[in-house]
Amino acid sequence: MTTQAKEPWAATRLPYLGALCATFCQKTRAPGASYFEVLPFLISITAAFLTLSGIVLAVYYNPWHAFDSVQFIDRNVNNGWLIHAYHATGTTMIFGLTYIYLFRAILTRSYRAPGEWVWMLSVKLLAVLLLTGWLGYVLTGGAAGYWSLFNASNVALSLGGLPGAVGVWFFGGPAGGGTLARLEVFHVFLAASLLLVVWLIHASRKTIAAPAPARAVAFYPYYLAQYFAALAVFAFIFVVLAFYAPHLGTSHFNRIPAESLAVPVGAGVPWYLAPAAGLIGAFSSTGLSIFAVIAAAAVLYALPWLDRSGANGAKGKLYGFFIWVLALDVLALGLTVHGGCPYAATLAGVFTAWFFFHFLVITPLVTAMEAE
Amino acid sequence: MAESAASHATAHGGSRRDFLTLLTAATGAVAAGTILWPVIDALNPDAASEGAAHLIVNVSDIAENTAKTVQWGGLPVTIRKLTAKETLDNQAVVPSSLPDPASFTDRVNAGYPSFVVVIGLNTAVPCALEGDSPAEPRGDFDGWVCPCDGSEYDPLGRVRKGPATKNLAIPRYTFINAAQIQLG
Repeated sequence: MTTQAKEPWAATRLPYLGALCATFCQKTRAPGASYFEVLPFLISITAAFLTLSGIVLAVYYNPWHAFDSVQFIDRNVNNGWLIHAYHATGTTMIFGLTYIYLFRAILTRSYRAPGEWVWMLSVKLLAVLLLTGWLGYVLTGGAAGYWSLFNASNVALSLGGLPGAVGVWFFGGPAGGGTLARLEVFHVFLAASLLLVVWLIHASRKTIAAPAPARAVAFYPYYLAQYFAALAVFAFIFVVLAFYAPHLGTSHFNRIPAESLAVPVGAGVPWYLAPAAGLIGAFSSTGLSIFAVIAAAAVLYALPWLDRSGANGAKGKLYGFFIWVLALDVLALGLTVHGGCPYAATLAGVFTAWFFFHFLVITPLVTAMEAE
Repeated sequence: MAESAASHATAHGGSRRDFLTLLTAATGAVAAGTILWPVIDALNPDAASEGAAHLIVNVSDIAENTAKTVQWGGLPVTIRKLTAKETLDNQAVVPSSLPDPASFTDRVNAGYPSFVVVIGLNTAVPCALEGDSPAEPRGDFDGWVCPCDGSEYDPLGRVRKGPATKNLAIPRYTFINAAQIQLG
């Protein structure tokens, strides 16, 4: 372990430190890795950045006067507007990176053995992100966030049996200061578990990485330079968004305070929640919506086993085409949430049906066919 | 690559890679600092808290022989304007005869000797003092008296009669001009 050689003082006193680094440090790698291999690194950087800005926001945030405290941060706290913009843009970026990362894993079919565990962690990452993102959106205390919480908590409180009990436990009552106070804690807790999931993804990717070939390339300085180049591009996009469109793709109604007797018309969810919201909106019954969300997560989890091509089977062009269709389908599912299209519910139903059809029928059939 | 870098290093006393590494590290340090500074600065007090922490008090409306008490940092800060007689009387007191010896110049600002700025809390039990206005009880030394334990202070805030043994505390303050004091 190189870490022990470099830091004998710390490593001899806490050997775990060296072992910890060894779980994710790859000293040498095969040459010619894609720039997309940098995505988990960028996700970690963004997660750390969100934690940093989130700590500052948590210092001044007050769930009992949510909207006013956000206004206080924007107007009175030193650089508060910038920290708020950082947090909002960090959210946009981490969702963007995660969606691209998951899509690439499906496209390159890296979820196949031995990548199942990394894939399942990645799905978990998206699930935790979606919940954390929704909580953060609700915590702003704006009109759109309030009505999102109002609907979700009322539905949860009206359910019977175990789902109802979980709903009561989670929300603790209808939308209000008390609900936001506990959701703030859940937001922070989920953000911490997000960091753990990101860490596990790094460690698992290291474990399944192919052994470095004879002509391996040292991470330092060659791959580090690649990481920095990717980071520079990422930072540029981040800065442009943070200064010119910090609240990209979120409802304008979140700029006005929540009013319990005035329902904002057409207040959509932020873009990063849109596909999940489309999935929920495709069903008129709450039970079916909940079932659909769980089922969507389940089919994503099961993807390594739904793909019948085997670990080293050929990657056919037809299935590749269907993966791009799936991407468009998820995009369209998200779009059904926004427009005032009269057929939105029907379209959401069609797109949801295609989502499940893709994973449950096309995936096993086409991959088995093409692997032969 | 490494060999050629090493040969450059020996030829020119510093390789191209050393320069690039330094440049990258320096740029990275500047970037990290630029990102971190707003985050750290955001935890500094905002302008309103900063203003409250450095309260400016108007003292031009204080009549001679009366005091005005303002709240600052959770403490009652008492500002008293001395009469000429009080000034002379207290300058004449021998400090070593007092329970907590302090001279006239120890207790007032040299530039504005008619103002006494003290924290109006008894030093034995923390109890707000009486005697800001001549109508209130002021004790035998015409200063302040504690309604809780009967400790007495002179107009400079020096303890004269127990159970208190310490003079009234003096907060950190500066005279902006003859009419304004900034606390903190």
